[in-house]
Amino acid sequence: MKDEEIDNLLKKAAQAPRDLDPLVLQRIGDSIKSSLHPVRALTPVWLMAVGLVLVCVAVSLAGAARAGFFGIAKMNMPERLVIFPALGLLACSVAVGFVHQMVPASRVRVSPGALLALSSVALLAVFALLFSDYHTDHFFSVGITCLFTGLLHAVPAGLLGWLMLRRGYAVNPGAAGLVAGTLSGLAGVGLLELHCPNFQVAHILVWHTAVVPVSAALGALLSWTFARRPRP
Amino acid sequence: MVRYQQGDFAAATVLISHISPHLHRFFLAKSMSRTDADDLLQETWLQIHKVRHTYRHGEPALPWFYAIARHIRVDHYRKSIRAAAGERELGEMSKGAFSAPHQADELEALLAPLSESQREVLALLKVEGMSLEEVARATSSSVGSVKQKVHRAYKKLRETLGVKPPRKLRSGELA
Repeated sequence: MKDEEIDNLLKKAAQAPRDLDPLVLQRIGDSIKSSLHPVRALTPVWLMAVGLVLVCVAVSLAGAARAGFFGIAKMNMPERLVIFPALGLLACSVAVGFVHQMVPASRVRVSPGALLALSSVALLAVFALLFSDYHTDHFFSVGITCLFTGLLHAVPAGLLGWLMLRRGYAVNPGAAGLVAGTLSGLAGVGLLELHCPNFQVAHILVWHTAVVPVSAALGALLSWTFARRPRP
Repeated sequence: MVRYQQGDFAAATVLISHISPHLHRFFLAKSMSRTDADDLLQETWLQIHKVRHTYRHGEPALPWFYAIARHIRVDHYRKSIRAAAGERELGEMSKGAFSAPHQADELEALLAPLSESQREVLALLKVEGMSLEEVARATSSSVGSVKQKVHRAYKKLRETLGVKPPRKLRSGELA
C-alpha cells in the first residue's frame, strides 16, 4: 500500500460527520461571557529570559556577598574569563527554554532533558579544562557542604523565577520544573564559583556540577507533584 | 484571537464555533466517549479563557489551542486512572465503569494499532491538516521528533494493512 492510499483512507475516515451539539457551544459561550474582559498579553520572551538571568545573577551575588568572594579572588584571569561567561551563556539558553515551557505552543528547539545534559556536560568540560589540582582532601565532608550551599541558593532563584513567570501556563509541568530546576541550579553553581576556594578537580567536577542535575530533579519532582495534586 | 484577548464577545463566539469542532474531534480520536469529549471541550474552553493572555500575536493560533486541549486530556486521563485505582481498592469496580461506550468509527479503527503519541501526531497532521511545525508546537516537541513519529506510524500502518511499501518512505514526503 502506498502512502497516498493511507492518506486517502485517513482523510476519508476523518470526513465522517460528527456534529457537535449546539447546546454545548452555547454553554461554553455563556460560561466565559461573565468574565470576558481585556487582558494584557505576556511580556516578550527575550525580556522574560533577561529577567530570569538577572534573578540568577542577583541570587549568586547576594549569596557570595554574605558568604565571601573567596573563590573568584583565588581564580586567575583566564579562569574568570571562561567560567563566568560560560555560566552566563548556559543561563541564557536555559532561561529561554524555561520561558518557552511557560508559553503554550512555543517552538521547542532543545528539549528540557537536552538542556540539562548540555549544561552539565559543558560545566564538566570547563572545570576539567581549567583546574589541575588532583588532590582529594575531605572529599565527602567538604563536598556535601558545597552541594547543600548550592542547592540552598537554587531555591530562592527557582522561587523568584516561578514568581516572574507566574502569568505563564505550563502545558507540561514536569518539563517546566526540570528547566526551572536547571536554571536555578546554575545560579547555585554561580554562587559556588564566586565563593568556594577549593579548586581540587574531583571536588569541583563532582560536587559543584552536581548542583545542576540535583536541582533539576527536585524542580521536576516538585512541579510534577504539584500538577498531580487533586483539584476541586 | 487578538479581539478575544481585548474582550470582544462576538470574536469569542466566532472562535468557539470555529475551533470547538476541531477540539471535539481531537478528543473523540482518543477513544473517548461523546459525553467525555463534550465535558473536556467545556473544560478546555474554561482553561483557554483563563490563560488567553498567553497567546502571542503573530504566532499560529491552532497549535496554541491544541497544546491546551492536550494538557486537559492528559489531566483527565490521570484523573480517570486515579479514580479507577480508588474504585479497585474499594472492590467496587464494575466491568467497563470508566470506559463509556466509544465512538467506534472508521478513523478510530484505522488508528487503533498505533501508539498514543503516533495516533495523536497522525491525527493532527493528516486529519486536522496541520503542518509539521504546528504539530511540533502543539505537542511541545521538535519537528524532527514529529517526523520520526509519523514515519513509524506509517510503517506500522503499512504492516497492519498488509502490503509492503513499493519504495522507501522519506520523512520529507509526509508533510
